[in-house]
Amino acid sequence: MSKEDEIDDRGFKRDLLASLPNLRAFAVSLTGRHDKADDLVQDTIMKAWANQTSFTAGTNMRAWLFTILRNEFYSQMRKRGREVQDSDGLFSERFSVHPEQYGRLDLQDFRKALDKLPDDQREAIVLVGAAGFAYEEAAAICGCAVGTIKSRVSRARTRLQELLGVSGEGDYGPDAGDAAITSRAFGS
Amino acid sequence: MSDENRKKEEMTEIQPHEVRPGAVPPNASISRKLRDFYDAVQEEGIPDRFLNLLERLEQAEKNAKPVNAK
Repeated sequence: MSKEDEIDDRGFKRDLLASLPNLRAFAVSLTGRHDKADDLVQDTIMKAWANQTSFTAGTNMRAWLFTILRNEFYSQMRKRGREVQDSDGLFSERFSVHPEQYGRLDLQDFRKALDKLPDDQREAIVLVGAAGFAYEEAAAICGCAVGTIKSRVSRARTRLQELLGVSGEGDYGPDAGDAAITSRAFGS
Repeated sequence: MSDENRKKEEMTEIQPHEVRPGAVPPNASISRKLRDFYDAVQEEGIPDRFLNLLERLEQAEKNAKPVNAK
């Protein structure tokens, strides 16, 4: 019995480790800065560890971790106020702290543009367009309807195109076919 | 904008999901940049503080529950 428990524990840790780089990239996307992101990831690891009995083995651990991190992010935001979405001045300061981390200039520009999106649009486009979740999974993580996620992704793309001065539309996410459907459904 | 570029853009609009070999359609750049940005963070790997944290959590758990407790 205790042997099996140990094996399960190791499996939990192994899966958690495997998800960490992706989870951390999500945290950086949400917070806009590495130091805050890593604090958020640390809190998430502790929460996940303390609640590992509530994780159902065989289900999607990545989605479970993302949900914990997202909840943690918003509950901390509520406690601390809106310091994350700050003014332009503070914003540029943020990006001058570790310029080497965003080496390529176009990535810096992209990151700034991403940071200007409303939270709900940013998380939607990141979950679907980068973190590798299906619309349904993203909806479950965010606790909203699939259609809501689709329209948020759509609005996020439009806004990013405006901010970055990119023309053209379509290509909404990981799946071009799905993208075409989404594009039609939302009449964009 | 040259006539040739304009022509290319029109083609892209008509067939938005057709990617010519070696050519990056303009409408893919948002998705590509998003993934580039995200992948750049992922490629930083796992900071030591998290490996240490997991080590400590694991150790604390081992210390807390006696082996073969029943």
